[in-house]
Amino acid sequence: MPMGRYLLGRVAESVLVFFVILTVFFFLFRLAPGDPVSRLVDPGMTPEEAALLTAQLGLDQPAGKQYLIFIANFFRGHFGVSFHYGRPVAEIIARRLPNTILLFTSAVLISALAGIRLGKIAAWRKGGRLDTWMTIGALVCHTLFLPWVALLLIWLLSFQVGWFPITGMISPELWIVGDVTWLEKGLDILHHLALPLMTLFLIHFGSYLLIMRGSMLETLNEDYIFTARAKGLPERVIRERHAAPNAALPVVTGVALSLAFSINGGALTETVFSWPGIGRELVFAVSNNDYPLAMGCFLLISAVVLAANIVVDLLYALLDPRIRYG
Amino acid sequence: MNDAECQGPGAYQEPSPAAPAPSFWRATWRNNFRQLVANPVGRIGVVLLALFALMAAASFLPPLIHPMYHPMTGVDPLIAHSTGPSWRHWLGTDFIGRDIFSQLLAGSRVAFMVGVSAALVSILVGTAVGMVAGYGGRIVDSLLMRLADIVMVMPTLLVVLILASLFGRLDIWTIVLLIALFRWPGVARVIRSRTLSLKHRPFIDAARIAGASHGRIILRHILPNVMPLALLYMTFRVTSAIIIEAALAFLGFGDPATVSWGMMLQWVWKTGHMFQAPYWLLPPGLCISLLTLSFYMIGRALEDVIDPRLRREEPDA
Repeated sequence: MPMGRYLLGRVAESVLVFFVILTVFFFLFRLAPGDPVSRLVDPGMTPEEAALLTAQLGLDQPAGKQYLIFIANFFRGHFGVSFHYGRPVAEIIARRLPNTILLFTSAVLISALAGIRLGKIAAWRKGGRLDTWMTIGALVCHTLFLPWVALLLIWLLSFQVGWFPITGMISPELWIVGDVTWLEKGLDILHHLALPLMTLFLIHFGSYLLIMRGSMLETLNEDYIFTARAKGLPERVIRERHAAPNAALPVVTGVALSLAFSINGGALTETVFSWPGIGRELVFAVSNNDYPLAMGCFLLISAVVLAANIVVDLLYALLDPRIRYG
Repeated sequence: MNDAECQGPGAYQEPSPAAPAPSFWRATWRNNFRQLVANPVGRIGVVLLALFALMAAASFLPPLIHPMYHPMTGVDPLIAHSTGPSWRHWLGTDFIGRDIFSQLLAGSRVAFMVGVSAALVSILVGTAVGMVAGYGGRIVDSLLMRLADIVMVMPTLLVVLILASLFGRLDIWTIVLLIALFRWPGVARVIRSRTLSLKHRPFIDAARIAGASHGRIILRHILPNVMPLALLYMTFRVTSAIIIEAALAFLGFGDPATVSWGMMLQWVWKTGHMFQAPYWLLPPGLCISLLTLSFYMIGRALEDVIDPRLRREEPDA
């Protein structure tokens, strides 16, 4: 089964890449100026207390052994304890992850769908006024500086017009009351979700539109489109059934390739809107020198990017029967 | 295309497109530039770029006019808080009375500096790696490309953030270098696949048979052919470098001794002026967006010039 073997190979490769990242970061944290002990130990501690803490953290062991312990712990699900919260990193991440998934996947899905629809229309009217304006509009949106757009949206739609809450994910006063229904809570989250979602949408849909437009133009030059025309099929059928589904494939890869880029944007969006997700937690951890938490968040993000690349490869094979692995 | 007709027996010319006469390059350059500005997208890009270049060039003037116009240290003695636009301060002042317009000009210079130098380094690394991987093949190829894969999955902004927190404050050149070192894999991939397609062309075989060393083949025969592609990618790398530096500064990890647009936005945000001072919030973000847009547009238009297969037909009436 070539497909199974291909998948296995890809997974093995990704695990290897992940290991390298893990290792590089482990030693990077050791390389940083000032030894980790002095960063942790309170100047007010007695030498005995300091030595005890050092031993507790395993920092008195040689680097090689520390590395092995680190790897072993990692695979048992112990990612360390956050300096700031004083709780296991895994627990903090688990609590933040659903929020990030909610914001991020909805943003990517909505912008990809919109990008595909609009790109299709732009390519269909190639050279027309609509196409020109859509292309320029997409270019402009794509290069907007994300934090600035976020601040502008807050200023305009929250502060001036008052339609949306300024930051956060929930209105605490609503949740504390207790006798609110699930529906009300859900709507409250959606209300808070609107602006971050809008920000990510504005930045992303442009690039998907441009990819779809380019790929649709290429598809429209294919022989089978010519054949469809020759058969006398209505233009709408040619566009929707023959051209668009094939042209949409590169958008799928586009989503995966730009994932690392999108994650940067996700972290910025979460930070500006105080959306309690992984990205904001990472920025927060970095500002507080909370290394275990920062590393945990970063490794999770790398793992997600690696996994997404595999999923997209498989999806691509599923969508395009011409692709055979082996 | 048709080689046979112009070459008589002793009139042998090197069959490669490598190292043509300088006049050829000049003509090509002029021709390409004309094509670039013939495209409306390219034209807008070039005009915007010229505008920002002018701003960067003018950034030396304000401090000469009066020390209070110094973007970093100049404080208006009469003003101690943020004020709106006036004749004295065209775009108003920031929270301690520094002139926003002079900061904006200085930011333009920093953006060019960061964008162009980071892009240059990442293009140099990416092109070198791509050519060596594509030409070397086998183990060299897979090692270099796996390395590229590893670097590629790491979101640049977050990596630089972590490094900034580990190694303390980074100065602007370290930031530039870090951005460059994490942005080469995309270039390397493209250059590699182009090198692969060049590797078995007759002119490379001819050079090899003529006794050229590997180094000479790469530098004299492959490099000139991947150059346009590298140049194209450079425009996109400038865009991403400017954005990453701005985002870093916005999050509070920029070089504190540099006035960049991202830094200005951070000041607006962190000092809580974003609701009171739209005159201060609008310009820096607009500048970041427009400058990156201009490089991006030039890149898109260059794509059409460099790859004629993508070139649109002339719009006929």
